This record gives sequence, structure tokens and C-alpha cells, in this order.
Amino acid sequence: MAAPQSRAAGGQWHKHLLLSPPLAFFAAFALFPLGFTIYVSLSNWSITGEHRFIGFGNYATILASDTFRQSFLNTVIFAVVTVLLQYVLGLTLALLVYRSTRGQSALRLLLLVPMMFTPVVVGFVWKTMFDPSYGPISWLFDLVGLPQVPWFSEQLPAMTAIVIADVWQWTPFMFLILFAALRSLPTAPLEAAMVDGASGRRLLFDHLLPMLLPASMTAILLRSIEAFKLFDVVYLMTGGGPGVKTSTVTLSAYFTGLRSGDLGTAAAMTTMLLIVVLIATLVLLRLLIWAGRRRSRTDDAALQVERDDVADLTDTVDSPVTTEVR
Amino acid sequence: MRTAGWGRRAVLFVWVLFALFPVYWTLITAFKQQVDIYDGPRFIPFVDFEPTLQAWRTLFGDGGGDFLGKFANSVVFSGVSSLLAVILGGFAAYGLARYRYKYGPYRNDDLSFLIVSQRIMPPIVSVLALYVVFVNLRLLDTAFGMILAYTAMNLPLTVYLLRTFFEAIPVEVEHAAALDGYPQWQRLLRVVFPLAAPGLAAAFLLSFFFAWNDFLFSLMLTFNDAQTLPLYITSLNAQSQPLWWLISAVGLVALVPPAIVTVVLDRFMARQVLIGGMR
Repeated sequence: MAAPQSRAAGGQWHKHLLLSPPLAFFAAFALFPLGFTIYVSLSNWSITGEHRFIGFGNYATILASDTFRQSFLNTVIFAVVTVLLQYVLGLTLALLVYRSTRGQSALRLLLLVPMMFTPVVVGFVWKTMFDPSYGPISWLFDLVGLPQVPWFSEQLPAMTAIVIADVWQWTPFMFLILFAALRSLPTAPLEAAMVDGASGRRLLFDHLLPMLLPASMTAILLRSIEAFKLFDVVYLMTGGGPGVKTSTVTLSAYFTGLRSGDLGTAAAMTTMLLIVVLIATLVLLRLLIWAGRRRSRTDDAALQVERDDVADLTDTVDSPVTTEVR
Repeated sequence: MRTAGWGRRAVLFVWVLFALFPVYWTLITAFKQQVDIYDGPRFIPFVDFEPTLQAWRTLFGDGGGDFLGKFANSVVFSGVSSLLAVILGGFAAYGLARYRYKYGPYRNDDLSFLIVSQRIMPPIVSVLALYVVFVNLRLLDTAFGMILAYTAMNLPLTVYLLRTFFEAIPVEVEHAAALDGYPQWQRLLRVVFPLAAPGLAAAFLLSFFFAWNDFLFSLMLTFNDAQTLPLYITSLNAQSQPLWWLISAVGLVALVPPAIVTVVLDRFMARQVLIGGMR
């Protein structure tokens, strides 16, 4: 949506100057590395610099490797589970805080605190929290008589611990976006529905959630893109262990590339990750566009409802809501 | 609806407890000594354990290694790269908002999307290649290299965010300034940028937040001189017994800049400045 601006054709050379730095950075830090990575993934490049083109050998190797398949599966599981949990919890919190009349802004800031922690610190904090011998969670389990959970020595508990840490840190982000969206909604259709006698549940599912759909999709898209990059918290809490049972693609690529010096295989891993992220992003973008269209339809429908209700309201003269609706 | 009030408060209370307990835990751990940590959990200062300033003395004294140096690195890299990202991103966003571009099939919206799409790419994809490039250009473990990397990381965000801000400023304002005899670059600096000040501030703060939190770039592209705070924190993770009291203390220090960012951004959100692109 360029704002049309009439100008002499010769006087616009500087517009290219304005755009050149980001395009140069784009070329140097995204396009070139991407091309380079794809090339490296087709070679047996080692960190010492020797390399030879070997075609799709690295891809065949990683697809046959249990380690990679485990990391890949974990990355997808982490992304789906954490984003869904964060969305449901973030939405619940946004609705609850929205309806709190007292101390709303203080509550909002309190809820945002986990997001302020540096991810590295989040990893460490939750590592002490779950520590089997001196962590408060084991202590609590003891206190209420629950059996001790081997948090970091078995796969399912270790994945759960990572999910909890990630949900702790990023639910506030979902909350932040959904709360802002909630506040920017027009109140008229909701009030109209309330006048109609819609129950809380119907209000939520028929009116609020459809109206929140575009903001929800945006929040889910932004979080999903980040979730596929999951690295810091896993690196610090479990190091991918026990074995490689909680590893992610980023973690595997880091260990393979920099620790073992096998850049070719690592590049193939990251290329696979990129393909999955691109597919997920495209699907979510499609959904976002669909949600936007649906939203504008429901808005129209809501406006129609509102008009009908105003007509109804002219009968019930004493209704205190009348003024608010109009 | 009356009865629902209690349920609502209970859920909120449980969540706040869940959200804030780890914060409290970090806070008290920063004032514990070794024995108070490894002897099982102790919760209440002065009752369970005697608080000590040991961690803080170590950190700011001789035993802290290069804590202040890494802290300074984090502040300088995040600050300078965010400033660069806002200035360069600001100019580009202004261009995209005011002029028509056509590079082959790419027009304004495509260029915008192309630039912002960089954020979709997982950093691990580019960082392996950047490692090789940095080695060859001797940028590995340098302040310059890290500032370049963080600027590249944040530019897509600032361009995308600021474009909506500039589009909201009426062209007439600039025409008026032109009639007053301001040349082009002065109109930009004296009229347009000041009008978009809240957007520029928000873009700066968000950029700072991302650069401050980065771990992967720092892990891959630095090894000593240019290490940042997250790297310093991981260095405290000795194999057998992590230095939890030091880790917690540094964690609290590292919390300060993002906390300021969040509080300021929350004010912006409250004024609906950022919502434009989200609805």
C-alpha cells in the first residue's frame, strides 16, 4: 500500500538508498547463509574445511538415524503441545483478567514477569525447581505423598519438565496479545447478545471466540515460529538427555556441527527443519487469512444483530443498557 | 455470575502462584550459601536459612571472573544493534510507506514480506553458515561481528513494525514542511521521525529484548572477548555442582533491562499503539 505521491521521476533515486541497508542485510545474513547451508548439506564439509560434493548422502544418513528422527519428532511434539497449552492458558487468563475490575493493571504486570526472564536463566531456574534431591517440586511431592518422579532420567518426565518451563515463560506472551485484542473489541455486539439473554458459555463460543480469531491466529503463528527454534531451555535443563530422548533439531544440529565438526550433516538437519517450519507457517498463514475473512463476516452479522436488538429495545424503554448499545 | 467470581479468583490465584514462585525461588537462592541449597529446599529467609551477600560479593568482587565485562558486552551489543536496527529500519520503513517500489516482480508489500520472512527462518539454519563466514572474515568473537549479527536479527522486525507507523502519518504534514522550505532529509528527521517517536521507541525496546535474550548466536560466534551475559551464566554451570547462588544473582541482574522494557511496552499496549498490526 504505497501512498501515491507525485514527484518528478528523476528525484526518486534516494528511495533505493532508503531500502538498501535492510536488503543488504537480507542478502548477507539470510539469502547467502541459506544458499550456503543448502550447498554444505550436499557436501561432506567438516569443520576443518575439507569438503567434496556428495549429493543427498547426508539426507539419507539423517533420515535413517534414530537420533535425528527422535529430535525431529520431539521438536514437533514440543511445538504443538507448548503452543496449544500456552494458547488455552493465555486465553483463559486474558478472559479472567479482562473481567477483573480491581487491580487490573497490577495483575497484568505480575502475569508478565516470567516473560522478562532471559531464556538461559529460565532453564537454570526450572532445573533447580525439578531437582530430585534439593528441588521444591520433589519436596512438595513428598509433602502430599505423591511418588517421586525421576524428572531428568526418563523421557516422559523430562519432556514434561521442559514443557512446563516453556509454558511458564511464554503463556504471558499469549496473554499479552489476547488481552490487548480483547480490549480492542467493539463492546456493542456483546452487550446486544447479553440483552438477548445469551448465557456466559454461548457468549464465549458464539461471539467472543469468533471475534478473537484473527488475534488468536496471529499469536499462535508467532509462537509456533519461535517454538520450532526451541534450544536454550532444553540445552540447559537436560542437554537433550537422557541420551538424546529430549533433543530437538536445533540441539542435534549444534552438537553435530560444532561439537563433532560434521557441518554437512548438521546443515542437512537444519534444512529439514526449515522445510517443516515453512510448511507450518504457510498453513498457519492460510488459516490467518481465513480467520480474517471470517471475522469480517461475523462483524457484519453482529452489526445486523445489533440493529435488530435496537429495534427490540425500543419496546423496553426502561432498560439501562439502551444508552450503552447506541 | 456471582458464584463464578470465586472460581475466577481461585484460578487467577493458582496461576499467579505458579508464575511467581520460581521468581521468589531465584530471589532467595541468590542470598543462600552452598549448604542452604544442597541440603534440601529451604524457603523462608531468617527462619529456614540465614541470608548472605556471598554471591553478590563474589560477583562484584574478585571471584566473579569477568562478570562486569560480559554485562557491558550485553548492554553495548544490544543497545548499539537495536539503535542501528531502528535507524536503518526506520529509513526503509519510511521508504516503503511513501514511495512505490518495483524490483522485478517485487512491489512494496512483497518487499515488506520478504524482509519480515527472515524471522521465520530458524537461526540455526543461518548460524552454521555465519560461523564459517565469520571465521574467514575474522569476525569471530568480535564486538563488530556480534553487533552486525544482532542488527540483522532485528531489522526485519523494525521495518515491519515502523511501516505501519509511517503509513499512519498523513502526507500533508510533510507537504506543509516542504512548503516551509525544509529539504527532504530534514523533513524526515525533524517532522516524520518525531511524529513516529512512540513507534521508534517500541521498535527499539523490542529489538533490545531479542538481542539481550539471544543465546545461540553468542554460543556459536563468540568464545571469550565478545561473550555476553547468557554465556557467562552457562559458564557457572560447573559439571558436578552448579553455582546456583551465583547463577540466581546474575539471573536477577539480567532481569532488569527486560523488566524495564516490559513495563514501558505495557504502557504502549495500554494505549493501543502496537495493536494496529494485530487486529
